[in-house]
Amino acid sequence: MRYFLKRFGFMALTVFAVCALTFFLMNAIPGGTAELILKHTFVGLEESATEEQLNQISSRYNLDDPLYIQFFRWVKAAVTGEGIGTSYVFRKPVLYLLALRLPATIQLAGASMAIAVLAGVSLGIYSALRENRISDHILRVATLFGVSMPCFWVALLLILVFSLKLKLVPVAGYGSLENLFLPAAALSLHSMAAVMRVTRTSMLETLGQEYIRFAKAKGLPLRKIISRHALKNAMLPVVTVIGFQMGNLLGGTIVIEKIFAWPGIGSLLVDSISARDLPVVQGCVLAIVSMFLLVNFLVDMLYTHLDPRIRYG
Amino acid sequence: MDNVFADRFRREGFLPQLGEYGGEFAKRVFQRKDMLFALAALVLFAGVALFAPLLSPYDPNAIDLKNKNLGPSEGHLLGTDYLGRDLLSRILIGARISLSIAFGVVLISLLVGIAAGCAAGYYGGLVDECISRVIDIFLSFPGVIFALTIMGVLGSGIFNLMLALSVVQWARYARLMRGQVLSLKKQEFVLSAVTSGAGDFHIIRRHIVPNAIAPLLVLATIDLGHVILSIATLSFLGIGLPADVPEWGAMLSAGKEFMRTAPHQTIFPGLAITFVVVIFSILGDGIRDILDPHHEGGEMY
Amino acid sequence: MNLLEIRELSVEFPAGEGSVKAVSRVSFDIREGETFGIIGESGSGKSVVGLALLRLLPANARVSGNICFAGKELFFLKPSELRKIRGKRISLMPQNPAGALNPALKNGLQIGEVFERRGIEKKEGMKKALGLMKKLFLQDPEKLCGLYPNQLSGGMRQRLIAAMSLSFEPELLIADEPTKGLDPEARAGAVELFTKIKNEYGKTMLLITHDLDLAHEVCDRIAVMYAGEIVELDEASKILHSPGHPYTKGLIRAHPRNGLVPLSGQSPSRIKLPEGCFFHERCRHAAVECSRRHPEIQNHKGGRIRCHLQFLQ
Repeated sequence: MRYFLKRFGFMALTVFAVCALTFFLMNAIPGGTAELILKHTFVGLEESATEEQLNQISSRYNLDDPLYIQFFRWVKAAVTGEGIGTSYVFRKPVLYLLALRLPATIQLAGASMAIAVLAGVSLGIYSALRENRISDHILRVATLFGVSMPCFWVALLLILVFSLKLKLVPVAGYGSLENLFLPAAALSLHSMAAVMRVTRTSMLETLGQEYIRFAKAKGLPLRKIISRHALKNAMLPVVTVIGFQMGNLLGGTIVIEKIFAWPGIGSLLVDSISARDLPVVQGCVLAIVSMFLLVNFLVDMLYTHLDPRIRYG
Repeated sequence: MDNVFADRFRREGFLPQLGEYGGEFAKRVFQRKDMLFALAALVLFAGVALFAPLLSPYDPNAIDLKNKNLGPSEGHLLGTDYLGRDLLSRILIGARISLSIAFGVVLISLLVGIAAGCAAGYYGGLVDECISRVIDIFLSFPGVIFALTIMGVLGSGIFNLMLALSVVQWARYARLMRGQVLSLKKQEFVLSAVTSGAGDFHIIRRHIVPNAIAPLLVLATIDLGHVILSIATLSFLGIGLPADVPEWGAMLSAGKEFMRTAPHQTIFPGLAITFVVVIFSILGDGIRDILDPHHEGGEMY
Repeated sequence: MNLLEIRELSVEFPAGEGSVKAVSRVSFDIREGETFGIIGESGSGKSVVGLALLRLLPANARVSGNICFAGKELFFLKPSELRKIRGKRISLMPQNPAGALNPALKNGLQIGEVFERRGIEKKEGMKKALGLMKKLFLQDPEKLCGLYPNQLSGGMRQRLIAAMSLSFEPELLIADEPTKGLDPEARAGAVELFTKIKNEYGKTMLLITHDLDLAHEVCDRIAVMYAGEIVELDEASKILHSPGHPYTKGLIRAHPRNGLVPLSGQSPSRIKLPEGCFFHERCRHAAVECSRRHPEIQNHKGGRIRCHLQFLQ
């Protein structure tokens, strides 16, 4: 219990630190914020923006206060549930924008992680069971390339083959299952390779353990030995890597969403950065970091659940 | 056999023994076919990066609108891009850009990481507590996103890119270094140096850093590949390097618009990225296997 | 009657260019109802013999020879037939009870799985196992079943494993180094345990050990192994009180009770075995003949011995 409190405390601290970091960083942008807002609000007016207009906007958004007060105000609003700012571009609350975009990202990241884990674990087990046979070697070379290919390149190649040449699935879009195939495949490849690699190594190590030999000596069939004795122990390092990979995956969503015109947080972040829509950038970073921390928290829980040595150490 | 060698390295430190066991280390590298291949490829690649201006058949920035989006031919081995620039020349120059940025980033992160890790591990107490918290925070969210945000603020450019990526990368070196220092601090030769009244800086420079560096170098080797991937990703998104710089990610980004008619612009720069990252992966894994065969291999991050 | 006949059993493991000869041409019989001991230094190949019996060696091991158990050639059995023998007719008590129990599974499950697919009602089997555990000095076995292996002491783990191995009343019990790594108290308990197994169950046992006290307590006949070969085989009392082979003599002199005189030198490399007798480099009595010709094992005074000296004198 104390562990969980500590854990939550650290998560809150991290989120706070990241928010503070982005907040001060974003406000260090050369050129006043008021000018930026003005630019978004009245397109074409930036040349002729008057002092009066700038002042008006500054007071409306309380931009004249020192930065730390602005940040404090932002934190207060966030904690009390008032919201986390308003987009300069869309003139909508950031929370609303995030809520609109979040399902798409969760869908994409979730599907990719599921593919990565399912395929990675099963291929890893297969590779371990065929150690040093040809299929193992092929899979190992494939993993090497899997972790080395940039995911956006994979995405482009997939589009090239499956959409442009074979015309099996649409190039981009959102909504139906066939739209999900390519982005999820491209995004999952890297994590799949990483998961497979760890599964293979860890499986081999586990299969060399004495309790596996003893299970054989007990007369258990191979399938039972793998499913009951080997898998649970071999999954421990895999679970850790899944946590790491989540970061990679969330980073990858940014590019993949952009390529496939996927309406998620990642593409929102890139667009807001280009448009200098600071509150939205802040919100996106907050959302992504929270997701990442949450997944890692779940992964740790899973780990403790899998390893009784930790529970009763 | 393997274990004896690795034990020796671990017990006696990597750098101090490099003179004595360097030959052995080299022999082991040459025994592994994959590392030999990767090493040869790296030499070739570094050579290409170094002599790119001499090797490239055309000026990488020469625009020739009459010959735009050409497929591979005898005149242009890898074809031309949407402005008629020779793709091969741009990829060669791109090697130079990617490699130099990557080396810069890894070097900066390595130095910062070593300094922070030493401070935390050696002095302990409040210093350690503070640095460790900062490291934890930096490690607890996806790096690409942070780099992206920083780039959004700083704007594109080689120096900014190096800065942003270093800010993201240093924490892993610092954490690794801290662990190394903590275990070294208990070793006899460090204790005896402390008792003999040597200064902190002297101890860190002479006894701790040389003995702790091996795993950091392994991480650095693998990291070179990762950094190259990150550079390409950011440039692909249009917030890494200015669009006219011949960088592989930026080339891909520009090329994707013409995927239907000129797919070679998408294929070749990606191949170049993959090729380099594969080389560094093989090298990093190989060095780790040689130095520490007990390591639970396969863990990439 | 012989329950088990081993003929010319050899095991090699590939290592680099050559191979490690772990066991070379070992032959012996185990009579029904007797306790047969194999003693020797660690690395003499005695454990490999035990594992080879149940075909539990790693896949890269090259095994040759014949093993005949109750009229069946073990090496020719199909995997499904082998499973019927493993754990049911021949069971193994592995070395290192700590490693032989799966840390991620509860003790109860690991005992219960012995009865799976064996035509025995699981409940009935468990009942039997619990009774057995009680008999083997384990208190409160029901509670133990709900715990994980790392919550037990070393001695308890060993008893648990003994209970698993005995639960089917196997015709042959192989115990591999049962006292290795136990503290003195647990060791004394193990000696007691095996005396009990021997007296109450009248099992045929193959006891592999480097512990001369244990061998003395429970073995009827003993084979001494050195560098993968049997160098001497005889009644236990004869081996331990009037050994014939210089190596056996050395082994017994090295025992703390007999003055702790260590054997000089090291076992020969098993990749490149010496010419002549494998022991001649360490033998105090070595004659010229010993370094030239490898001695064959021969009948001598009712036992078998592999030494030129016995016949030269």
